[in-house]
Amino acid sequence: MEEIQYIGEHLLPSYIGQFAVLFGFSMALLSAIAYFFATNRRDTPEAAGWQRIGRTAFLLHGLAFFSVIGLIFFVMTQQYYEYQYVQAHVSDDLPFKYIFSAFWEGQEGSFLLWMFWHIVLGVVLMLTAKKWEAPVLSTLSLIQVALASMLLGVYLGWGPDQLKIGSNPLLLLREVMDAPIFSNADYVGLIKGTGLNPLLQNYWMTIHPPTLFLGFASTAIPFCFAIAGLWTREHKAWLKPALPWALFSGTILGTGVLMGGAWAYEALSFGGYWAWDPVENMSLVPWLILVGGIHTNLIAKSTGYSIRSSYIFYLLTFIFIVYSTYLTRSGILGDTSVHAFTEMGLEAQLILFIAGFMGLSIYLLVSRYKGIPAPPKEEATSSKEFWMFIGSLVLLFSALIITASTSLPVYNKLVQLFDPTFEGRVITEPIPHYNKYQLWIGVFIGLLSGFSQYLRYKEINFDKRAKYFITHLTIAVAVAAALTGLASLWLNIYAWQYWLLLFAALFTVVANLDFILTFLKGNLKLAASAFAHIGFGVMIVGIIASGLNKRIISQNTFIMEGLIQDAEDESMKENILLFKNSPTMMQGYEVTYVRDTMDQHFTRAFQINYKQRDEAGNITQEFDLYPNILYDKSFTKVAAANPSTKRYLNKDIFTHIASLPQVEIDMDYRKQREDSLNYRSFGFGIGETIEFPDTIKNEQRNSVSIKKYRVKLLQLLHHPQHPDYEPEPGDYAIGARLQLQHTDEDSTFIVEPVVLLRGQFLYHYPVQINDLSTKIRINSSFLDQVFPLDKDLHFQEFLLKQGETFNYKGYSIHFTGFNRTPNHTSYKQEEGDIAVSAVLEVKGNDGQTYRAEPLYLIRDSRPLNVKDVIEELGLHFRFEQLDPVAETLRITVADNGNESFKLPVEIATNSLRSDYVVLKAIEFPGINYFWIGSLMMMLGLGMGMVFRIRQNQASRV
Amino acid sequence: MKKIHIIAIIMIAVAIGLLTTAAEDMSTYATFTQAAKSGEKVKIAGQLSKDKEMIYNPEVDPNYFSFFIKDGEGNENKVVLLAEKPQDFELSEQIVLTGSMKGDEFIATDMLMKCPSKYKDEEVYIKSKREG
Repeated sequence: MEEIQYIGEHLLPSYIGQFAVLFGFSMALLSAIAYFFATNRRDTPEAAGWQRIGRTAFLLHGLAFFSVIGLIFFVMTQQYYEYQYVQAHVSDDLPFKYIFSAFWEGQEGSFLLWMFWHIVLGVVLMLTAKKWEAPVLSTLSLIQVALASMLLGVYLGWGPDQLKIGSNPLLLLREVMDAPIFSNADYVGLIKGTGLNPLLQNYWMTIHPPTLFLGFASTAIPFCFAIAGLWTREHKAWLKPALPWALFSGTILGTGVLMGGAWAYEALSFGGYWAWDPVENMSLVPWLILVGGIHTNLIAKSTGYSIRSSYIFYLLTFIFIVYSTYLTRSGILGDTSVHAFTEMGLEAQLILFIAGFMGLSIYLLVSRYKGIPAPPKEEATSSKEFWMFIGSLVLLFSALIITASTSLPVYNKLVQLFDPTFEGRVITEPIPHYNKYQLWIGVFIGLLSGFSQYLRYKEINFDKRAKYFITHLTIAVAVAAALTGLASLWLNIYAWQYWLLLFAALFTVVANLDFILTFLKGNLKLAASAFAHIGFGVMIVGIIASGLNKRIISQNTFIMEGLIQDAEDESMKENILLFKNSPTMMQGYEVTYVRDTMDQHFTRAFQINYKQRDEAGNITQEFDLYPNILYDKSFTKVAAANPSTKRYLNKDIFTHIASLPQVEIDMDYRKQREDSLNYRSFGFGIGETIEFPDTIKNEQRNSVSIKKYRVKLLQLLHHPQHPDYEPEPGDYAIGARLQLQHTDEDSTFIVEPVVLLRGQFLYHYPVQINDLSTKIRINSSFLDQVFPLDKDLHFQEFLLKQGETFNYKGYSIHFTGFNRTPNHTSYKQEEGDIAVSAVLEVKGNDGQTYRAEPLYLIRDSRPLNVKDVIEELGLHFRFEQLDPVAETLRITVADNGNESFKLPVEIATNSLRSDYVVLKAIEFPGINYFWIGSLMMMLGLGMGMVFRIRQNQASRV
Repeated sequence: MKKIHIIAIIMIAVAIGLLTTAAEDMSTYATFTQAAKSGEKVKIAGQLSKDKEMIYNPEVDPNYFSFFIKDGEGNENKVVLLAEKPQDFELSEQIVLTGSMKGDEFIATDMLMKCPSKYKDEEVYIKSKREG
């Protein structure tokens, strides 16, 4: 193939970028090796040298990947569409604030984000980890090697069996795909960007991924410490520095997962914050294991038990992060998840990634297992460490069963390797499936986290404490039971399992509050764990309230009364039709679709008004919600719908536009629909009434009926108004006021369609009467009647003096005088103009007096005149000549010539209604307990981290 | 035997118990024939029949959307989804429905669509651009 010299490409960023990826990859490898020797030869003089090399290599690696990120941002902001990553994620109309979102929308960008955080954390470790720097950074560099390999984009081997390693984000479009367009040397100007998916164009996409990936990245640090502990056989020393990192990671990863839930709830139309989607599950699983690890780490630090478990938990946490990456990025989830990435050909590499780090972990664990210290005597049943350990096991158990169900597609694929006829299995209804198991995890965690606060580490004399323990436990159980009883007034819980869960949640809240008050005496510095456990309990209360007692407001109440069979199916129906300005009662709310407004960013917001009334009919509360829909860039289709939520302290009311009339969703359809309208033409004189019948198709009953229409022309409008028409000077616009009704119905409708000539363009402003499914417009031929060309007019001449009156076709026209400062819409004054107008008063047949001011002027010593028209009468006046001596003027007058005009009106009776929305509204009671509780949990973890860092610093001094 | 071992054994036992009960929650993708025979709630995966009529008429019923899909065996059947018509429905490649047969119709309460990947879109876009 001949080489094409392409024009207009920007190749430098690609060259630098591809070099930087390779360089950064090599430096990560060098750093891993150098730090490896620095660790293995730590007691020899050469260790310092290796450490220096490791450091330098890691920093260079960081620098290389920071430049890769910088280059991608550069080509993105410059909109160099010859780059595949730019073409896939940027478009001309993408607002700058979404450039970050566009960056991490793709797989490569999110890998880079992940690596970015590893680099940042690596530098922090370099500064703080002291003797742990070498082994920890050696492992971290190895992780970076694995991640960087995903971005290499190099091919190994020849021919069709080339092995592709990674996908480089700085490749050109023509390097990654074959398309006929690339035979054009000047193709760059022809391509456009795809842009960011409109669903992702909101602020959550800006803050959620960086938080989640910092969470992902931070799980590597406890992992690296665990590897370091095994490697150097310092099985106790690593526990202390690892703990604050684990707490940090727990806080950030947890916050990231929660943000995902908040996004789903607030901005997407999922109608909830958690749906047990595989992608959600696989970000929760590592967090559960990590929290288990934090507990075993605490036990190990305080008692020397559970060191082995701490290793296993931290190692598993990171391995599950990688496994989660595999599930979401390999395409294996296929149709089981709504938001997995599309495949990128990285399956094999991702599996190697998991296998490599799992192999390393297993090798180190097995080879060092015997040497890991453990106290000879087992934990006492009355000790805190025993029950904390059980709790950790419960968390691990929870994580494993979630993983088992989520991994079903992996299992299917494995079996299919050996038996291609095997049909893959799926979970029929995921949400109840997960709920029914995790419910028990919640019960156990609630109970364990409550009563273990009353126990102590290394308890040797429980008998002495037994009285304290039993008293407090009894009180806590009693208070929790009483609260559960109180909650029954508020919540409608129909299964005993949920009562038990509610009790367990309230129990941990009470027990931990008691712990803070009586044991810590309100010393909040030590209250981190109690705080987190209270948060857990409150969160569970929120889950029960908002999940079990979620109420679909947008349901037709008649259905609930059993008028229709199949009540179960009917209860699934969550949408209701809401016509504009017609209030609808639903579930105690009077809901009205008031209006909708369009803004310049393709967003159409709908004002939905909610009212509640007392028995007397007085409004007790009222609020408006503004759910919106977003049209695509070409304004042809709806791209996304954003819900709107009213928040109360004790409940949320969620409102979402589920659908719109087809003509509002799809502009192509609208045009097609408009073209297919069956317009009938009529000619109206003023005051004339026309009746006509039409057959109407009844969609409900699949039949036709005949309806009679009565239409009357009330008057012509010479200064017409229409919601879509904005008058401009020089417009020729005419409107008509018509009255319409069905002959067999009382209600009449007054409509004012408008037709406009602006420059060379004709515009119709028809009126839609939704109640009659009728559209009405004025035929544009009427403009010729109202605004005839001068050549078609027959002007008649009159010579006048001031104060004189003359007759023209029954009109008496009085010349009152001259206006020396004339003002005429089609006259623009220029310097040197001498202009004067004649003021004429005309008595119309309707008894009104009209005024015309034709204009006479001298410009550059040439006489000119400007016509004036009384549109209401159809009279045209010219001021032709002025005789200054005789003080007479010559006026010419003409009329439209057809007093017996007919207004041509076109009426279509098959125009679909377009004044409604399909609404979904859900009430979530107590959802704020979920948010408050989960935030308290994160705060508790964060408090724990701060406390441990201070403790570590204090002990170092 | 240590207490911890007892607990571990209990947990393993529970896990095995759970696995056996969990099997009830799982099924293979059914076909219309199977769904009609069992009458139970099943999952069906199939492809949209783009030439057949799609009805969504919110004025009549905002929770009634009917269309036809071809199941794994190639049988075509009418499906009624008790919800609104989703955006870009016509573009879907693969559809997974949860529901059961009622007479000749498959009444679906839940639907997952898989839309074409972005990369394919691009190719189409560039090609059409060239033609135009």
